[in-house]
Amino acid sequence: MATPQNEIAIRCQNLGKRYGEIVALDGLDLVVPTGSIFGFLGRNGAGKTTTIRLLTGLAAPTTGTAWIDGVETTRADSGARRVFGYLPQSPAFYGWMTPLEYLDYVAGLFDWPPHARRRRVDEVLEQVGLAEAARRRIRGFSGGMIQRLGIAQAMIHQPPVLLLDEPTSALDPAGRRAVLDLIHQLRGRVTVFLSTHILGDVERICDTVGIIHQGRLLVVAGHDELLEQYATNVAEIELDAASREAAPALQAELQALPWVNGVTQEGGLLRVAVSDLATARQALLPCLVNQGVVLSRYQWVRPTLEEVFLAISS
Amino acid sequence: MGTTMTLAYTLSVLAMIALPLLLAAALRRRFPAPWWLFCLGMATFLLSQAIHLPLNNWLGDLGLLTEEMEGRALLQNAIILGLTAGLCEELVRAAGYGLLAWRRRDTGWADAVMLGLGHGGVEAMIVAVIVAATAATMAGLQGADLSLLAESPAQLEALERQLALFGSSPALALLPLVERAVTISLHVTFSLIVWQAFRRRNPAYVLLAILLHAAYDAVLVYVVQQIESPWLVEGAVVLLALPVWLWLAREARRAAATTPAPTVPPLGREWQLFGLALRKELLQQVRTRRFLVVIAVFALFGLGSPLLANFTPQLLQSIEGAEQFADLIPEPTATDAVAQYVKNITQFGFLIAILLGMGAVAGEKEQGTAAIVLSKPLPRWAFILSKFAAQSVVYLLGFLLAGIGAYYYTLWLFEALPAGAFALSTFLLLVWLLVFAALTITASTLAGSTGAAAALALVGAVVLLLAGNIPTIAAFVPGALVSWASQAPLADIPPQAGALAASAVLIVVALLGAIAAFEVQEL
Repeated sequence: MATPQNEIAIRCQNLGKRYGEIVALDGLDLVVPTGSIFGFLGRNGAGKTTTIRLLTGLAAPTTGTAWIDGVETTRADSGARRVFGYLPQSPAFYGWMTPLEYLDYVAGLFDWPPHARRRRVDEVLEQVGLAEAARRRIRGFSGGMIQRLGIAQAMIHQPPVLLLDEPTSALDPAGRRAVLDLIHQLRGRVTVFLSTHILGDVERICDTVGIIHQGRLLVVAGHDELLEQYATNVAEIELDAASREAAPALQAELQALPWVNGVTQEGGLLRVAVSDLATARQALLPCLVNQGVVLSRYQWVRPTLEEVFLAISS
Repeated sequence: MGTTMTLAYTLSVLAMIALPLLLAAALRRRFPAPWWLFCLGMATFLLSQAIHLPLNNWLGDLGLLTEEMEGRALLQNAIILGLTAGLCEELVRAAGYGLLAWRRRDTGWADAVMLGLGHGGVEAMIVAVIVAATAATMAGLQGADLSLLAESPAQLEALERQLALFGSSPALALLPLVERAVTISLHVTFSLIVWQAFRRRNPAYVLLAILLHAAYDAVLVYVVQQIESPWLVEGAVVLLALPVWLWLAREARRAAATTPAPTVPPLGREWQLFGLALRKELLQQVRTRRFLVVIAVFALFGLGSPLLANFTPQLLQSIEGAEQFADLIPEPTATDAVAQYVKNITQFGFLIAILLGMGAVAGEKEQGTAAIVLSKPLPRWAFILSKFAAQSVVYLLGFLLAGIGAYYYTLWLFEALPAGAFALSTFLLLVWLLVFAALTITASTLAGSTGAAAALALVGAVVLLLAGNIPTIAAFVPGALVSWASQAPLADIPPQAGALAASAVLIVVALLGAIAAFEVQEL
């Protein structure tokens, strides 16, 4: 069923970008529902940054159009830029300014009256944890502080959509966690379009995932739906140290079963791929018991997003 | 020239320069039309004239075009002049559209209008320069003994008539402006007709544009020779243009009905945004100490120049072995102080302009600060103009201090010079410097790095400085302002108004080029 117009935060229609013979983005058709945290996943050079730059109007599309919150943004009209906040991959600010001055300047560009502007700047600085550094020159800021200031400037005008390009890629684990927590806090209040190649970030905060590879969108699905869709029928069996010697024999035994596709063995760990999940779920464990092996772990495994991503993009 | 007359011609010249830009800006508020199409229109006009003028000269050499402006000869001249104008301008305009088609660009109604505005716009700017130069010459000739001029009696008589007319009313200054307004609308019309040739894939429209252009120009050449009163001539021009204006208004309404308007903030809001960007730029000039450095350097030039002029002989006298050179230097005067002042400012001024402006845009692109700011509703034109405006403010204050310093020390060490003329001299030097500042902003926009911007600006500056050595254009390059500035405080000399207007045009064109290029750049 098509998403109703008022529930669409971002819509791309045949959005494409070529640089000479190189196709950076190939006819992207995409709908991002309002209120979602959308993870735009792809390897380096897949077309993630190009997509965001086209959405912001900072680059001109070769084909197609995109709308954010119902406003066409790919024409680069200055008035269309109030519907989104944008954080580039490597944000840079005027080093001679303080965060307070910079955010006040940016809020002014969005027509916030001076008194409300000041209140909003304080609020956002508090939110991103830069209140104490508000009067310090930006020149001396760490990478994490720059990134948080980047998020602050993107959300200063309370846009309905935030476009974040690799917001955590240059951060240490602590900085990454802080930024992800910040994005997580925005859930439900704004739509977040987050491009990244860090799967852990997507696993952690995104509810919808789009995978892009070599300029083409390969799949869009809900996070859980995607894992379900690409679930592999694999059981992992870890033998206890006492039964490890029986592993090769067990592998051969299992291999002979009609509902088993294949078995791999590495030390005491066996991975059993099955063709009939229902039968296997009933018959595999009794079969192991009959073999008289001692198990330290038995688990039907769900693929990780990494496995899904690698499977789709390879 | 009286104050009213000066004011009238100044306003008229400025309006002629601004009119096409204002029309294009108004068009852009309703239709999506990039500035680079305006620049393409400018290029098509300049290229057409590069063919048109030699062609007319060649036809003159062949005897087909004569200086006789009566009877059958007038008719022949009018037809040939009309045809050469129509052929050259419309064919080059068609080549412009051909270029767009070759680049596979979809060209719409507003694009065609933009191209026409650029084509007619640059002509209006060139005419503005000519009007300024002519008005200054006419003013200089008023009250002069014309019999001293080496002209034929017929030419002297014509000159006397023109001088009498020129001095009759300041309102005459309006006429070139009216004429340009009409001509610009005609250029837009011809541009739309040639556009139809590409839209409908029918070259007959190019032929139609050539014939209409030729007919209009021919009638105009004929009418100007037949009617003495310039008011009547302009009345006829406006009458001829009335149906064109009505047609354009109808076409604009039609196009508006089918073209979605761009999402732009209200005009007042756009200027507010410019104000915010300007405030930020000024703060940057202060915080990064550029403001202080520029002010200090110019103040030093202002204060130091009369001192240097005065004490150079004494300095030489005090150097052992150089005493004989001191005797060779004549007693310094106020003339030397002014010459030193102008020399110091011009020798270092353009280098300061390049150093201050080279990173203005290129630096922001390199660092990535521009991409963030321009993802907000700040228009790109405001981003560029705020940088130029901030630099202008810094230079203005620098020149103010330099001027006051130089004036005070000249007064103290030599003699009192007319304060108004000295202020004019400083103003001319400021305009001269602003040309280089605008050129540097353009270079900074076009270049990918600050270093490349500096190199590009330096090349542009050198070309501009060398252009002063070409006799045919020497009176219209910014260098002529320096000669005017050197002499203005010392003697009552005819103003180089052509150079002043040409400098204004250069500043406008440089900034327009920067905005047009920046508008299509990807950040």
